[in-house]
Amino acid sequence: MGNSSKDDSATDGDTSSGDTPPSNSGVYSEGEKVLAYHGPRIYEAKVQKAELRKKEWRYFVHYLGWNKNWDEWVGADRLMKNTEENVTKQQALDKKQGVDKNMKSGRSAQTKPKSSADTKVDKEDLKNNVSKGKKRKSESGVEKDNVSLEKLVKIQIPSTLRKQLVDDWEFVNQQDKLVKLPRSPTVDDILTKYLEYRSKKDGMMTDSIGEILKGVRCYFDKALPMMLLYKKERKQYHEVVIDNVSPSTIYGAEHLLRLFVKLPELLAYVNIEEETLTRMQQKLLDFLKYQLNPYKLYSTFREQFLQKNQSTFFLSAYDGPKVSEGKGKGKDD
Amino acid sequence: MDNGGKEREEEQDGMSVHSPCKAPPSSASSLPKEQSQVELELRLLEALEIYPPVKLQGIHRHFVLYGLMEFLRKSFDRHFSSDEVLQLLDRFYNLEMLKPDDEETEILNHEEDFCLPQSFFVKEES
Repeated sequence: MGNSSKDDSATDGDTSSGDTPPSNSGVYSEGEKVLAYHGPRIYEAKVQKAELRKKEWRYFVHYLGWNKNWDEWVGADRLMKNTEENVTKQQALDKKQGVDKNMKSGRSAQTKPKSSADTKVDKEDLKNNVSKGKKRKSESGVEKDNVSLEKLVKIQIPSTLRKQLVDDWEFVNQQDKLVKLPRSPTVDDILTKYLEYRSKKDGMMTDSIGEILKGVRCYFDKALPMMLLYKKERKQYHEVVIDNVSPSTIYGAEHLLRLFVKLPELLAYVNIEEETLTRMQQKLLDFLKYQLNPYKLYSTFREQFLQKNQSTFFLSAYDGPKVSEGKGKGKDD
Repeated sequence: MDNGGKEREEEQDGMSVHSPCKAPPSSASSLPKEQSQVELELRLLEALEIYPPVKLQGIHRHFVLYGLMEFLRKSFDRHFSSDEVLQLLDRFYNLEMLKPDDEETEILNHEEDFCLPQSFFVKEES
């Protein structure tokens, strides 16, 4: 079953019998990050809405980092799962297309058609042909201010930690559990310990790793409320983080780990020389492997979650009255 | 740009408002020292093209500073501490007066829920 590439006419196979539920559709859920074809290239995008129209799933996508004007309805054939394999594909395409200045200016110059998605598709095809025709217009180097996908730092999160992230997701979203806060060790503790360890190991030259760790902490404090919390954790956040306390003195390894998923997005705003970037990636990876490695902290992750689960305190804190660790006065009996 | 090191030095002295104690300690050894100072400053200015000082205020501060440290390390083949870099910068900029640029405040301005990329779940299957 090759993905039927027609955008809106593919109502043939799955009309009456429900036995072939549109197999390649419905696979993308709202809020999911995906890769989306737009013209000759693949972009990182987020599914904002998913709707079943005429037996076919349509997705309203937002291209990450692009103006909302580009948001549009597309069919499943325009989307791909955000897997490593597909990301590689994306990068390969990027390379093939060469400099993306071309594309970028093409995009922003084009006025946004207000019409339906279908005509948009046509226009797009047209545009692609056009741009193919006069491709060589600008061959100059990649622009500096270009927060483009190919520039993203890649931090390969070790598989044990990837699994931890999935568990973490499951605990919070499937099992309605929250990490008990304040967490010990805190993000601060973890970072400080690591710096100590490095100083013992490499002597003087810890200045650079120190700077990186400070950077991580700074990102963490800013990013935590903005992009590191699952929806279900927001209430807890507002209970616990009060009076300008730094989240890094309250949250722990679980949330720090989530930062590493987001790190490429954040670092994309900094222009860093390639060689330096590589060194930095390596340092971050060392940190992940050594300091966030399962045998040190991870085993306690589970305990933390389990404790929560068992204690009625946690459950009540989650559902009802505003009590949380440390300031639950009057509720201990 | 290629007026001799001497001239530059004077100019520099005349202009620098803060950092009065930055001048080479003794005038006796001044020539080679001056030159290396000029070299250092030139490199730094070069580096600032990649790592704009504005970014030294705001959330990316540390990574930009790291970039500068690495740049100088590569150029001079020796270690530069973050303090050293900041002191150097102080000759040219009053960092505290810099305002973080708008782009940066935009990034972390809208709240969104954390979303674990699909690729993580795929791996888990095995």
